[in-house]
Amino acid sequence: MSEQTKVDYAKPIPLKTIDNAPYWDAADQHKLTLQKCTDCGQFAHPPGPSCSHCGSSNVVWEEQGDQIFGEVYSYVISYRPFLPGFMPEDCPLVIAVVKLEEQNITIIGNILDCEPADVKIGKKVQMVWVDINEERAIPQWKLV
Amino acid sequence: MANIASKYAIVGVGESERSKNSGTTPLHLALDAARAAIADAGIDAKEIDGFMSYSEGDSCTSHQVATYLGVRPKYVKDISGGGSSTEMLIADAISLIETGQVETVLIYRAMNGRSGIRMGGGGWSTDLLQNAFEGGSFIIPYGAGSPSQWFGLFAQRHMHLNGITKEHLGHVCISAYEYAQKNPKAFFNGKPLTMEEYLATPDLSDPFNKHDFCLESDEANAIIVTSAKKAETLKSKPAYILGISARQCVSHAHYWQNVDEVAADYVAQDLYKKTGVNPSEIQVASIYDCYSWVVLRQLEAYGLAPKGQIGEFVAAGNLKIDGALPTNLAGGMLSEGYTHGMNNVLEIVRQVRGEYEGTERQAKNHDLGICTGWAGPDIAGAMLLHK
Repeated sequence: MSEQTKVDYAKPIPLKTIDNAPYWDAADQHKLTLQKCTDCGQFAHPPGPSCSHCGSSNVVWEEQGDQIFGEVYSYVISYRPFLPGFMPEDCPLVIAVVKLEEQNITIIGNILDCEPADVKIGKKVQMVWVDINEERAIPQWKLV
Repeated sequence: MANIASKYAIVGVGESERSKNSGTTPLHLALDAARAAIADAGIDAKEIDGFMSYSEGDSCTSHQVATYLGVRPKYVKDISGGGSSTEMLIADAISLIETGQVETVLIYRAMNGRSGIRMGGGGWSTDLLQNAFEGGSFIIPYGAGSPSQWFGLFAQRHMHLNGITKEHLGHVCISAYEYAQKNPKAFFNGKPLTMEEYLATPDLSDPFNKHDFCLESDEANAIIVTSAKKAETLKSKPAYILGISARQCVSHAHYWQNVDEVAADYVAQDLYKKTGVNPSEIQVASIYDCYSWVVLRQLEAYGLAPKGQIGEFVAAGNLKIDGALPTNLAGGMLSEGYTHGMNNVLEIVRQVRGEYEGTERQAKNHDLGICTGWAGPDIAGAMLLHK
């Protein structure tokens, strides 16, 4: 599923922090892992130092595997790059909020290789991982 | 909270010159705005014992402003914040006056928002941005670095669910530009907009084109808040504060976690509960307008237009001078200027005072006005003003 590895990746690379490292470490292995609270039982995304739903410190990581499907919850289509590393040729850039029904969370990512006109709220998407350098990969989406 | 209805008032408002390149510092602009507000209130600068400001690290300090007005204040405070900070600082000022800390407070926002640090201007370090926002590493690597994209994610879904079209966004812009034609100090004075032009403008961040974005300007605005008792001793006409909900927020600091939730929903409930006002009683409005859609979402939140029919409400011309709810009558941030909302506060004070009486700029009914602030979908504040 991985895209061709790009040399000299110029876009911002996700910073690993004490709170999010397991998510990005799993992404590097082309897997999705999510933070879950063992008290209220809910998944939380983005992950944090404790549960964002109930405040409990009893949070664990639960692997979701590599077959991740979701649906487009909302999106924007950017015709101008707004951040260093993003170039006019990256546009139109589709930025989407993707809803994972089962886990009841949303994840923001780009929908790759699509006609912007084909992107609609409610469309099914599948997670893909893009290797951005030798060590790192980020989850992205493709229309199913 | 104690019932503060009509116990406090805004007694003076003022602004500096507005430009794209002031050629001076935020301190100079702040002093110009402060002096204008002081003259408007008819107060001696030395009677102001509290000074407050908000900024995004792009301004000067309250202590500096007080110093160069020749005042030694009892209280100074400079907070980090954008939209809805005016409402929060007004509530703070009321609290300080209520507890006897100070008697009169001047609040300002000064910025070289075009020639200096630009809010949407880019050039920021992406590592800095990832750390600046909760969950920043989950948005910045995906190219989402502009409020137009962040708010666009909220707008697209809301529009989809509520039958709001691009044309409806256009009506918000056209109404704002129409007001700018009557305001010689508005940036877009002399630049009217037709629906045809609006719809022909290419999108920058679909659903938004450049007309849906607010302006960037170099300017400062200032207001003076004091007790109703003190207001009676001044020559200016006060705009009394009927109630205020200072600064509520949504349920997650990473606000993209739920694009259906906006802080204005909570603020509206609180404001109406505190004041007992029904939204249908409100006659004139300043609705925070960093993007056209933000106006629509707030009309819904504050019950100013029926949910599900907000698009139709604006299409019917209700935001215009002869509509049901004349809104942002100086042109707002879409077409007048941009000071993170304070220019809209100045305008609602002038409308409620009836300052434009006898001109085509005065809303016909203006006894009760609402002013809303929107820091983002995540944080909001609002107040009701009456004559």
